[in-house]
Amino acid sequence: MTDKPLFPRDVFIDELYEAASKDKDIVIISADFGAPALDRFRDDLPDQFIHSGISEQHMIDMAAGMALCGKKVYAYAMAPFLSLRCYEQIKAALSLMDLPVTLLSVGVGVGYADAGPTHYITEDLACLRALNGMEVVTTCDPESSREVARLTLSKPALRYIRLDRDPELPVYNGDFSSAIDAGMHELHSGDDVCLVTSGYLMGRALATKNQLAEQGINAGVIDLFRIKPLNGGALRKILGRYKYVVTLEEQGLDGGFGSAVLEAVNDHGISTSIKRLGLPERYFFENGGRNYILDNNGLSVGDISKAVTDLLG
Amino acid sequence: MVLKMKINDLASKSQWIRQTIFEMAARTRQGHLASALSQVEIIVALYYGGFMRYTPGNPNDPDRDRLIVSKGHATMSVYPILADLGYFPEEELDRYGTPEGLLRIFGNTSIPGIEATTGSLGQGLGIGCGFCEVAKTENKDFHTYVIVSEGEMYEGSIWESAMFASHNKYDNLTVILDRNNKIILGDTEDMLALEPIADKWQSFGWHVIPADGHSYESLLPALDEARKTTGKPTVIIAKTTKGKGISYMEDRHEWHYLVGNEEQTIQAREELKTNCISYEGENND
Repeated sequence: MTDKPLFPRDVFIDELYEAASKDKDIVIISADFGAPALDRFRDDLPDQFIHSGISEQHMIDMAAGMALCGKKVYAYAMAPFLSLRCYEQIKAALSLMDLPVTLLSVGVGVGYADAGPTHYITEDLACLRALNGMEVVTTCDPESSREVARLTLSKPALRYIRLDRDPELPVYNGDFSSAIDAGMHELHSGDDVCLVTSGYLMGRALATKNQLAEQGINAGVIDLFRIKPLNGGALRKILGRYKYVVTLEEQGLDGGFGSAVLEAVNDHGISTSIKRLGLPERYFFENGGRNYILDNNGLSVGDISKAVTDLLG
Repeated sequence: MVLKMKINDLASKSQWIRQTIFEMAARTRQGHLASALSQVEIIVALYYGGFMRYTPGNPNDPDRDRLIVSKGHATMSVYPILADLGYFPEEELDRYGTPEGLLRIFGNTSIPGIEATTGSLGQGLGIGCGFCEVAKTENKDFHTYVIVSEGEMYEGSIWESAMFASHNKYDNLTVILDRNNKIILGDTEDMLALEPIADKWQSFGWHVIPADGHSYESLLPALDEARKTTGKPTVIIAKTTKGKGISYMEDRHEWHYLVGNEEQTIQAREELKTNCISYEGENND
């Protein structure tokens, strides 16, 4: 474990590099999207790297063709374009044929601030989880990115992996792999209320927990890193003992993260009260950085704390 | 193995396929018959004219040539051929489009011999590029054929893939454009002009061969030239007639998804007793 922040894309691709050095069937297709780790991959394994052009639709169809020939394909692009720009291709070529292709999506949420709403993706959880057979995973630190990379190698499947644009500090301490089957992990156990989130907002969930502790509230923190398939049994086990749940997402609320939790809670008869926090229904043209956008749109630590205290009455 | 028949035998195959797919469509009242009739000579030339290499009994042979019918709605005309080559029992043709049957209205990979699930236009070429890339990097000499409709020329993804294929010098790739000029609402040149379509492909770096899509004398040398072309992919622009072989369907865009009433069914059966394609000579050597 290191305290140096690491870019999740580099952590993931470095893991692929090691495996690809021994397995020529591992291929990365990039839609003109880079990373320092990818430079090494391209230099050392040129036959296993393909530049598709800035052509996400072609990239996905091509990934399907290569997967049909037995290749282990990773399609790598900026999140807004790898998710919605080629959504039809993901459905018709990958999901319909149930091909074990990994979609490596970088810069989820408003991670590309201040590029503006063309470069933000606040709908990908809602959209991607609607596709049959799609596994949707969000990592939040170097260990989770590394372990998810290993998962894609050891158990190939159709997956949409959401990586953050920004470098990350450790959240996990050697315990992520034991949570992979459950798709979630209770990072901190609380009393009556817990915060459920994934990815970049994990930092805010942990900060909120600390702020609430100063008020004498012991809030749990749960990393629900796999939103689809959502493990109802594991969710019941973890959430079942909380009276209140607050979900946090860097997404719009329609059909996204909190919706998935609500559905699972309903379908699995989990008795708890849920408050969903996410981004308002508008596009963010204003500049000021990612934290500025989050802080001013209902996802500041103060906003989250207040939602919790309001729930607790 | 590769099947290479004489032209008169290829013509007989054409007639047999037209009669067979008409009965398939008439039974279920389903299918895109006019589009399927349009490509009959193209697929017969590929499978029986000395091009598609396949291994009987092993549809997954890694060295096989591959055909993607990107215009997935027309896949039904390939089914009789796949049955004929032993990919599945011929009785399946009678169960086409039924809940019990193997053969679907649109082709998908659950059917032996169907290389890709298609139906969403403009995706077969990209999938074909994936096949070509694997062949190149693994030094395999299998060839990939992709049949596209002109309706697919409107999809941007086709041109993404066209650019990619020529940049990567996929001379193991042949696209056959089934150019019958008809889309659902009318003629392509009236709705949104595609011409000059040959220039478009040429400007994307492709070797372009014009052909008569209902003439084996034209298609066989075109496919042969495509196979011999090096350093770039080839597109054969095959001039065809939508609904070829059934007079009331020919060149009529409104027959995209119709089969015909009882009277028209009798008429079609009568017309299909005569082979609709003309050919000269008996030998294509």
